[in-house]
Amino acid sequence: MLLSVRDLTVRFRTHDGTVHAVNGVSFDLEAGETLGLVGESGCGKSVTNLAVMRLLPQPAGHIEGGQVLFDDMDLVQASEASMRDLRGREIAMIFQDPMTSLNPVLTIEEQMVETIQAHKQVTTADARARAIELLGRVGIAEPAGRLRDFPHQFSGGMRQRVMIAMALALEPKLLIADEPTTALDVTIQAQVLELLQRLTAEEETAVILITHDLGVVAGMTSRINVMYAGFVVEAATTPDLFARPRHPYTVGLLHSLPRLDAGSDEPLIPIEGVPPDLRLAPVGCQFAARCAWRIERCWSEIPSLEPLEPGTTVRSTGPGATHRIACWNPPTPEEAEAGAPLRPGFVAAPPPDEPAQAPKTAAPR
Amino acid sequence: MSETGPAQGARGVIDADEQLLEVSGLKVYFPITRGIVIQRHVGDVRAVDGVSLTLRRGETLGLVGESGCGKSTFGRAILRLYRPTAGQIVFEGNDITTLGGAALRSLRRRMQMIFQDPYASLNPRMTVGGIVGEPLDIHSIGTRNERRQRVEELFEIVGLDPTFAERYPHEFSGGQRQRVGVARALAVNPDLIVADEPVSALDVSIQAQIVNLLERLQSQFRLTYLFIAHDLSVVRHISDRIAVMYLGRLVELAPSRELYDAPRHPYTVALISAVPIPDPAIESKRRRIILKGDVPNPASPPPGCHFHTRCWLRERLGNPAECEEVEPQLRVLTTGHEVACHFAEQVEGSEEQRRASGRGTSPAPDAARSATSADVPAPPQRPAGQ
Repeated sequence: MLLSVRDLTVRFRTHDGTVHAVNGVSFDLEAGETLGLVGESGCGKSVTNLAVMRLLPQPAGHIEGGQVLFDDMDLVQASEASMRDLRGREIAMIFQDPMTSLNPVLTIEEQMVETIQAHKQVTTADARARAIELLGRVGIAEPAGRLRDFPHQFSGGMRQRVMIAMALALEPKLLIADEPTTALDVTIQAQVLELLQRLTAEEETAVILITHDLGVVAGMTSRINVMYAGFVVEAATTPDLFARPRHPYTVGLLHSLPRLDAGSDEPLIPIEGVPPDLRLAPVGCQFAARCAWRIERCWSEIPSLEPLEPGTTVRSTGPGATHRIACWNPPTPEEAEAGAPLRPGFVAAPPPDEPAQAPKTAAPR
Repeated sequence: MSETGPAQGARGVIDADEQLLEVSGLKVYFPITRGIVIQRHVGDVRAVDGVSLTLRRGETLGLVGESGCGKSTFGRAILRLYRPTAGQIVFEGNDITTLGGAALRSLRRRMQMIFQDPYASLNPRMTVGGIVGEPLDIHSIGTRNERRQRVEELFEIVGLDPTFAERYPHEFSGGQRQRVGVARALAVNPDLIVADEPVSALDVSIQAQIVNLLERLQSQFRLTYLFIAHDLSVVRHISDRIAVMYLGRLVELAPSRELYDAPRHPYTVALISAVPIPDPAIESKRRRIILKGDVPNPASPPPGCHFHTRCWLRERLGNPAECEEVEPQLRVLTTGHEVACHFAEQVEGSEEQRRASGRGTSPAPDAARSATSADVPAPPQRPAGQ
């Protein structure tokens, strides 16, 4: 096992109260695997990975509990010095906006050579040669000449290529890509995704791809964890998740997404309401307020991530990974297909006491 | 348009005879100048470079393209927020290209805009009730009491609680703010609404709420939309027809279903192939056309066809000189389907066209999809008490 995250809990202490960003997230990753983390803004997908890298914004962010085992070393307990050594060499990260993650006052050469020399005992000439080789591999024309350029002299797509080159410079075992193509146009996104897929396959790098775009994970990953309000609500292999989505949130997401290949005028079924206020400690299923399938129990008990078929031995990785959901009342396959409960007379359970929550949840019909 | 009589649009009746807006040869250039005191004109950014199209009353025309293709500039130019460099804009039979002063202000009652960023497009110091009522004040519509009632009514229409009118924008979520933006646009009962990336800043589940709202309002108030977005999936869902722009020019215009099923411009084919589809079974059958390099600088676009520097078809045809020398004009291929490409006929039936949508040479995606789900026995439902 390359990476094993166990019960990771992350909180932020802010002036407005404690934000429950990640609430006991567990997942595993084998060497060379690609895992997608999908969810909307604020679901904790980025924070999970910042916690893995121990890069949570300080002093607000805090790992409250859990373990992050990377090659059997617990990163939560690791010293800052060993984390510094690990970042870049063992685990590399690519961010959404390449302009803010590159230093604007240094040339690409200075940044790449510095990265390489920080972790490897090589001469500047060797580091430079390696940088040129890498830029060539990510498809930058005349790499030797462009090395002297500053980040602003590259286009958005080119900057993201430079970031990929820098991330792969030290042949890391794990690459965390946080919305790597969200800022790019769709044809440029296609270029960058193709590059990312090819290079990580060649190097057998494990990848965690964080994105809100279900289309991107469909083509890029072998397994997916769907996150909502700091919980993993559904975990499955990519083909299984799309063929048999079983958590009401995943079902809702797939029905609210317009598809390019949809038949004529298939109506969108939106998920009503808004995500919960993360400053309130979770009581019950976090999705309950927006869920059409909720039963009374959903309001008061937090469901854990369990296999679809009870009693199945859980396989957490690989192509035969067990399909798991965290739900007390999952939709049947027919209901998942229709996007709404079909059981005669079923009514979503009303909240235990009338909406005394934040006023934000009251408005949209 | 060669269609006659009312056609059934996505949501209600489109009157093919009633052209609400007619744009011909529209150009919007932004000058590039040098010097501080004496500014020399050294060139132009050709944001919109000769676009002609027609909007029929009651339809939704989608305008897609990548950043910098000029789609937003076009949308703003037809509202006369920019002064056109050349060309003509005709709204309900009246030339509005050079309108100014009071005439322009009263025209703006008829056309409204919904913006992308619900955070930046609402004044943080005004209550949302004030924001929605402001267009009524500007156009002096109704008495103070009537305006207040109208604001309440607008809140109900867009699905907001009227008691929230006294709150400020920061108290609302992104989706609710966008509803406020929609209510503001509706306040003066416009005919045309230009929606510039109205859902791009929103999360997927909220996006669908706003898309459904816009669809409902269209049939309720017989609105005409120019829906500008970069997300082809959303545009395809909401639009009756789609116009594709590349580097300031229109390259293809087609009914939205047809644009996906049978794109005829090499750029449209590449664009469609690049859009990820959330279904691994279909994704595995598709093949992306990876365009080389980036979009050229709109200050010095390539001669001839603007797309020729990145075109896969031109390469296939052995780089014909025509592409570099002659600017292709928009021409009608089939009814309602117009393309600006010298070799559009070569696209039809090509491997690229088929693989872009995932139809490939294998059986229809629907058949493949139902086969996989049939192989897997439906798991027993988990008892609620687990």
